[in-house]
Amino acid sequence: MSLMIDLVKPDGGAARRPYGRMLTGAALVIVLAVFPLVMSPFANLQVTLTLVYAVAILGLDILVGWTGQVSLGQSAFFGIGAYGVAVCADRGWPVWAGLLFGVVLAGVVGCLVAVPAARLRGYALGMITLTLPVVAVPLAKRLEVVTGGAQGLNVTIAEAPEWTGLAADQWHYYVVAAGAALVFALAAALRRSHFGRAFDAVRVDEALATAQGVHVTRYKVLAFTLSAVYGGFAGVLYVVAVQFISPETLILTLSISLLAGLAIGGLRSLLGCVLGAAFYVVVPNVTGEVSAGQSYLLYGVCLLAVMLLMPRGVAPALDRVVRNVAGRRGRAVAPGD
Amino acid sequence: MNLVQQILDGLSSGSVYATLALALVLVHQSTGIVNFAQGQMAVISTYVAWTLYDAGVPVWAAIVAAIAGSLVAGALAERLLIRRFEKGEPLAAIVVTVGLLISINGVVSLIWGTVLKQFPSAFPRGGVGSGNGGTIGFGTLGTIAVLLVVVLALGWLFRHTRLGLAFRAVAANPESSALLGLPVGRLLMLGWGLAAAVGALAGCLVAPKLYLAPEMMDSVLTYALAAAVLGGLNSAIGTVLAAWFIGVVENLAGTYISFVGGDMKIAVPLVLMILILLFKPEGVFGHKEVRRV
Repeated sequence: MSLMIDLVKPDGGAARRPYGRMLTGAALVIVLAVFPLVMSPFANLQVTLTLVYAVAILGLDILVGWTGQVSLGQSAFFGIGAYGVAVCADRGWPVWAGLLFGVVLAGVVGCLVAVPAARLRGYALGMITLTLPVVAVPLAKRLEVVTGGAQGLNVTIAEAPEWTGLAADQWHYYVVAAGAALVFALAAALRRSHFGRAFDAVRVDEALATAQGVHVTRYKVLAFTLSAVYGGFAGVLYVVAVQFISPETLILTLSISLLAGLAIGGLRSLLGCVLGAAFYVVVPNVTGEVSAGQSYLLYGVCLLAVMLLMPRGVAPALDRVVRNVAGRRGRAVAPGD
Repeated sequence: MNLVQQILDGLSSGSVYATLALALVLVHQSTGIVNFAQGQMAVISTYVAWTLYDAGVPVWAAIVAAIAGSLVAGALAERLLIRRFEKGEPLAAIVVTVGLLISINGVVSLIWGTVLKQFPSAFPRGGVGSGNGGTIGFGTLGTIAVLLVVVLALGWLFRHTRLGLAFRAVAANPESSALLGLPVGRLLMLGWGLAAAVGALAGCLVAPKLYLAPEMMDSVLTYALAAAVLGGLNSAIGTVLAAWFIGVVENLAGTYISFVGGDMKIAVPLVLMILILLFKPEGVFGHKEVRRV
């Protein structure tokens, strides 16, 4: 809320000025830091899960939004990260080893898939990525000795240290929030670097990118690998949040939902990733409370309504509102569009 | 269970995948969108057919009525919902079909509940002997026959009628078609309508094999997507052959390779397809897209 107030100050350009941004950032950090101390465990879990899926959607954005590729495989990378950390925890290895194992494994698989897939474009690429969750789910069930089969794995990781006096849900919230903040900051830096511009070039026109000296295949593989690493990291955070993973978590539906979240939030927007994740986590709960029997129908209708009202996503729509209120009509071209 | 029977069973499942895949190809040809809701649209059509059958209508008539209704509903979906997204970001259009999928699933659960229903087969019971004492069911042969009829009918429509010619013109170049005075909007509606009708047929073919349930077409859609992409998303023959390939390989691998088993059999054709795509990125029967820089 403080974010909005700050952005719509009468002097207009607050969002563009460094101190305005710092104030907004500071206010946001304070709100996020105090939140778990005053809210219910359920509300904390909702925000924690929103941040988890925001990281997964951000990974998808790097591939789909920045680089212009398609992927239906994000749920598989999410699963690799989650199983990576859960299996390590199950064998009593330290959590940082599990984190490293899960994220690196996701990245390696992503890279292995990307090297051949980068030669393809459009739906052929979508096809290859579609195969990942379709194969990953029965595989997770089959490798019962390691993964716990269809029952999944219950683990206890990232326990709150005694001295903090925090409940489990509060501590998990902070751990996930810190992890998410770190990778969001990394993505923001990457977006502004020459990597970000190279990804843009690949998306806009591959031939032009080549002419500018951008190695198209190399950047596609990089985007794919990064996307997988983010997916894997989100999976690790997921296990921190719920202390459980089962094959049902990584089904194709999650990949599709993440794509929907990306479109709802808006492409190429960090805020959009969070808003899209919030839609995925919060809206089913709200519709479930409105009517338990028709929860799914209402969720679908909400999804359609958002897309009809804001075909480019919530974040760009919000951005336009802010700009209009601030009297900056006519300059409504966002960077990266 | 002998080999001939296994192959024919695979062809039969492949024919169901092919029917839904043809619907996907029709939609992609007309509007350039991959319709994730295609399977779910087929599910609601099948429920309509079941309701008619339940009310005493003969099963064949119920299926024909459901197909006719789907033709209209599919056209309306294009006109009222999809048209707004045809010119925008492709991801938005795809996500709209996801929204449609979820909403239709919700409507189906709301109207018919989640209790499984038995859908009658339109084909007679029994079958013909295949040697070695096995029998090949009329349902198996009938499914393959229906697919062949659909392919021939669509082929005739697109190659030998003025309507088909107009449709192909719009698929190739909507702007030029509009300048020639073709009713582009109505032809796009036709594309979606035909797709919904073909999808309804797929639903009615698969329902007797499984039980009628809101999630009935989920796995079929995955196979159909795979077949449509392998066929290049623009070739009916390629799509059908790809779907048959998937159906047969899946069935044989599930039966004869003990490691694969029932749960992993879907992986075998998909992995094989990836290998094929690596050498033929435009699909087996797809046309290479020439890009001008």
